[in-house]
Amino acid sequence: MKAALTLRPRDRSAILQSLRAGVVPRHGHRHIQVGRHQELEALVHDIDRVADAGSAIRFVIGPFGSGKTFFLSLVRAVGLQKKLVTVHADMAPDRRLFSTGGQARLLYAELMRNMATRSRPDGDALAAVVERFASSALGEARQRGVEAPVVIQERLESLSEMVGGYDFAHVIGAYWQAHDSGDGQLQTQAIRWLRGEFSTRTDARKALGVRTIVDDHNVYDQLKLMARFVRLAGYGGLFVCLDELINLYKLSNKRARDSNFEQILRILNDCLQGSAEGLGFVFGGTPEFLTDTRRGLYSYQALQSRLAENSFASDELVDLSGPVLRLANLMPEDIFVLLGKLRNVYASDDPDQHLIPDEGLSAFMEHCSRRIGDRYFRTPRNTIKEFVNLLAVLEQNPSADWRDLLPNVRVEEEGNPDLAPLPEDSEASEAPRSPEQASATSAAAETESLAEQDEAPADDDEDLASFRL
Amino acid sequence: MVDDSRSTAFELLDERVRQWIWDAGWTELRDIQEAAIRSLIPPRSDVIIAAATAAGKTEAAFLPICSHLVSQQDVREGVQVLYVSPLKALINDQYRRLSDLCEPLEIPVHRWHGDVPSSRKRKMLQAPAGILLITPESLEALFVVRGHSMGRLFARLGWVVIDELHAFMGTDRGRQLQSLLHRIELRARRRIPRVGLSATLGDLSLAARYLRPQRTPSNDAQRVETIVSSGRSQELLLQIRGYLTPAAQPTAEPAASSDAEEIVDHLFETLRGEDHLVFANSRSHVEHYADLLRRRSQRERLPNEFFPHHGNLSRDLREEVESRLKDQVAPTTALCTSTLELGIDIGCVTSIGQIGAPFSVSSLRQRLGRSGRRDDPATLRVYISEPELTAKSHPLDGLRIRLVQAIAMVELLIERWCEPPSTHALHLSALVQQVLSLCAEHGGVTAQEAWRALARPGPFDSVSQDQFIHLLRAMGAEDLLIQSEDGTLLAGDKGERIVNHYSFYTIFQTPEEYQVLHQGRPLGTLTYEHLLAEGMHIIFAGRRWRIAMIDPEQKSVSVEPSPAGRIPTFLGSSGGQIHDRIRTRMRTIWADGNVPRYLDYRAKKLLAEGRANFVRLGLEASPLVASGSGTIAFLSRGDVIRNTIALQLLKRGLQVAQEGPALLLDGITPGETRKILAELAEEGPAEPLELAALAGNKQVGKYDWVLDQELLNAEYAAAAVDPRAAHRALCELARHLA
Repeated sequence: MKAALTLRPRDRSAILQSLRAGVVPRHGHRHIQVGRHQELEALVHDIDRVADAGSAIRFVIGPFGSGKTFFLSLVRAVGLQKKLVTVHADMAPDRRLFSTGGQARLLYAELMRNMATRSRPDGDALAAVVERFASSALGEARQRGVEAPVVIQERLESLSEMVGGYDFAHVIGAYWQAHDSGDGQLQTQAIRWLRGEFSTRTDARKALGVRTIVDDHNVYDQLKLMARFVRLAGYGGLFVCLDELINLYKLSNKRARDSNFEQILRILNDCLQGSAEGLGFVFGGTPEFLTDTRRGLYSYQALQSRLAENSFASDELVDLSGPVLRLANLMPEDIFVLLGKLRNVYASDDPDQHLIPDEGLSAFMEHCSRRIGDRYFRTPRNTIKEFVNLLAVLEQNPSADWRDLLPNVRVEEEGNPDLAPLPEDSEASEAPRSPEQASATSAAAETESLAEQDEAPADDDEDLASFRL
Repeated sequence: MVDDSRSTAFELLDERVRQWIWDAGWTELRDIQEAAIRSLIPPRSDVIIAAATAAGKTEAAFLPICSHLVSQQDVREGVQVLYVSPLKALINDQYRRLSDLCEPLEIPVHRWHGDVPSSRKRKMLQAPAGILLITPESLEALFVVRGHSMGRLFARLGWVVIDELHAFMGTDRGRQLQSLLHRIELRARRRIPRVGLSATLGDLSLAARYLRPQRTPSNDAQRVETIVSSGRSQELLLQIRGYLTPAAQPTAEPAASSDAEEIVDHLFETLRGEDHLVFANSRSHVEHYADLLRRRSQRERLPNEFFPHHGNLSRDLREEVESRLKDQVAPTTALCTSTLELGIDIGCVTSIGQIGAPFSVSSLRQRLGRSGRRDDPATLRVYISEPELTAKSHPLDGLRIRLVQAIAMVELLIERWCEPPSTHALHLSALVQQVLSLCAEHGGVTAQEAWRALARPGPFDSVSQDQFIHLLRAMGAEDLLIQSEDGTLLAGDKGERIVNHYSFYTIFQTPEEYQVLHQGRPLGTLTYEHLLAEGMHIIFAGRRWRIAMIDPEQKSVSVEPSPAGRIPTFLGSSGGQIHDRIRTRMRTIWADGNVPRYLDYRAKKLLAEGRANFVRLGLEASPLVASGSGTIAFLSRGDVIRNTIALQLLKRGLQVAQEGPALLLDGITPGETRKILAELAEEGPAEPLELAALAGNKQVGKYDWVLDQELLNAEYAAAAVDPRAAHRALCELARHLA
């Protein structure tokens, strides 16, 4: 099976660039996918159901570093292949499903910004989707031998009957008219409305003559409208991926958490009862987000009873038919396979070009383990990033030996950039560098993260890094 | 030459600002304004501007800042200047003054505190720009409620101006403010120049270190520029008046004691017809004297000119008094607490009264700054009551400690000395609050992030990492914090309840308060600890009332006027600690023969009496005096040293009580005491944590209840004892006794 995969140069550079930046690549997931065949199959099944005018919902639950984000990204790529429109976003303190301070509208706007189709896999596809709606209506009109406005009207009526659909249809109508009359300004305003970029009703009324906007209280209704709309435009359906749901768990106000969980309950009910059409949801979160009865989904009684997992499925036995899909943690063996795959991608699938032997992979893992303990495989993002960096240096410096470079690999844990000390302040707290040290770093600037003088973190920092209450 | 440099400073200002100065009819800029313009244009470093109240500090900071703002062509959104002030009333004052300056310049000015309507706040949030006037508590609320938009709000921030800088130093609230300013810089991802406006109090290098805390003390002097007003050397008219409290005092009605009546007589006869401030050391004293003076006016059928002013009174009542003081028509004397120490705009008053010995020289200095217009002398009258001596009197009463303390303070005031703020405390209570606030701001933080954001490098850098970890655990034990699997610390159930309640934002204690209503009109607040009951009589807002109804649901007390009354005891505004320099000066005064000219006849008599008793007790030769079955150790040292020695004695199993300048030891002779003190001197400095472990109630700060014994001891050891200074004092004492 593996032999069937050919690595295109485009995929190779996309994978390597993304991984060095610490993000999940948009293309070529399968080249670095490790295991999880059953789980992926379950999701492919979901996608087929959505494409078949059905609905689906999954909670992908796994501990930190289990590869949820990667998995979601992979699933999204499959969705695109199956002619779905996908939208995705990470939950954040200022991006929620429901709120009163604009945070839900920001989530919606983020989803729309990330809208992708097979021909526009990198996002920002909303305008193209709307355009396709118009052109497909024209096509249908020609086919049926009727005026285009008649077809448009029929389609808009099907939107109008839904909650909040009147204004949605009005905006699409406005776009169509502007399309007809060449009013670029009005077209832009219509797209802005669909993207959730209007923050006040007054502005929207002035620009488009509608009384409502996408706001904090109707995000889910708008997504349902969008699902029907993309189907009218000729796509299979809408696939919504929401990651980092732990951020809902982290909200410091019970009311705020509950109002978001209530929206999740609505979505769950709709999807399980099949009352949503051509709409699928995948949520990514950690086990505590799901099961913590104080602030997780289980703290919301109605969700707990619906999401309670099959008690027969445990340890070895799996049940992939329920809404909750568990991802186990990556184990060191998985990391080893993954590093091997990365080496292979780097060598463009040619074993003769491998930059580091198997022995080097083990040594790399051992080094990481010494630096930060088992956190290296529990938070694989940085481990992978440093490995790719190491390969980059080896590639560009054929004379270099991996054994010499390895001690300089510095795996760091990621932190909140808003909380990092200011450069001015950290200068004051560090001993001044000697000129030799300074020049040594500038000479090796190209391979900075590796060559930088490696000062072992002080023991007291270790106490904080591994702090448990 | 002078003219040349003057004109250059003026020329540095934008034309529109110069226009404003011309329009305002100013003939010249004051020295601090000249200097500030040169330091702040262009903005480069942190600056402290120190001058007396009403010396034009606000303009010194804002003329150049506004000049810079109008010359900028920046249209990005975001607050450009953050002005932080300790008092809402001060913000309202400054709002008026700055609006006057900024309106023609088209710079928006916003005020933001508990009494500002939320519609105004929303407007500011929609289009943040210009100058934002705010209290530390409202700034805290912004972090908690709008944590995620702080970056956007302050992306463009160019300056932070802190008014009444000296009022923040050395307090939990001051540490909270430092932390908030540090957190703003973290969100803006750069240092933001700070401008501190301060009274001219003592050593400004401490103020500089407060304004911009540095881990490397070597270069902070250069980093913060200080501009000190050359100031006017104002003449000081001074009197200390002595009174005698009768020994057999009717306990039921303290209001009738004859010394109070005499003080009232003097106040009434001297102060009527002009504006004055009379400071008393507690809110109950304020109420007490206001009531006596009002009744006195009534008896004489004269319009009342005496009004109380303190933090428990409603804003309306306080503003009424402030505006009466400000206008030139109705002569007004405000009986007040430290609330009128700070720079609320009430204009200048003719004189200052002080009932009872003041707590500190710095607050006395602040109070005095209120008196006397530019070229008039400042006038201060201090009223001191000493108990009448009888056979049963305690030996210490004969020393006239209060009077001698007042004299020492006045002397130090004249010598331009004042207490440096205490900088040793760890402020763990404020750290508990800041950890919770940081969690709310970021939706959780890791221990390491919190440590780096708050402690190293950060405002809590006197806290060790062990203590920090210990504190997090203590917070976890109280369910203030929980930890998610990725290590993120989040507010626990109890923590969440605390953070989401508005009382979270203040770090100083705010006891549950009841609103006092008369016919529906709010008069102010009383705390529940006052033990109120229906039908009880109270004195409040300078009048006597009967409590008609208490509504625990609404937390309100309805009152009706009544002829009788007793004074509620108010919490808060405790004295603080007496500095060593004052106590050692007091010793000199006792030993000395000089009689200050500013004492009235009775004060002179009391001083002579005090000195006679000092000699009679043999205190000149030895501070140890036998008293009953025990010994009085008359150390006459500061509270911290006295406290340290007391704990050292306690550790040796002695029974010790602390009384003003002295220690009272039970069941031990002066000879034995001398031996023990000599041994202590021999032993060397004590271990501060061991002493702290012996101390009694150590919960002082708002969140001290979260801390376990170990942390409480650490806090106490850092702030309340000073073994090295105590050891020096003991050695001196041992030499003296030998």
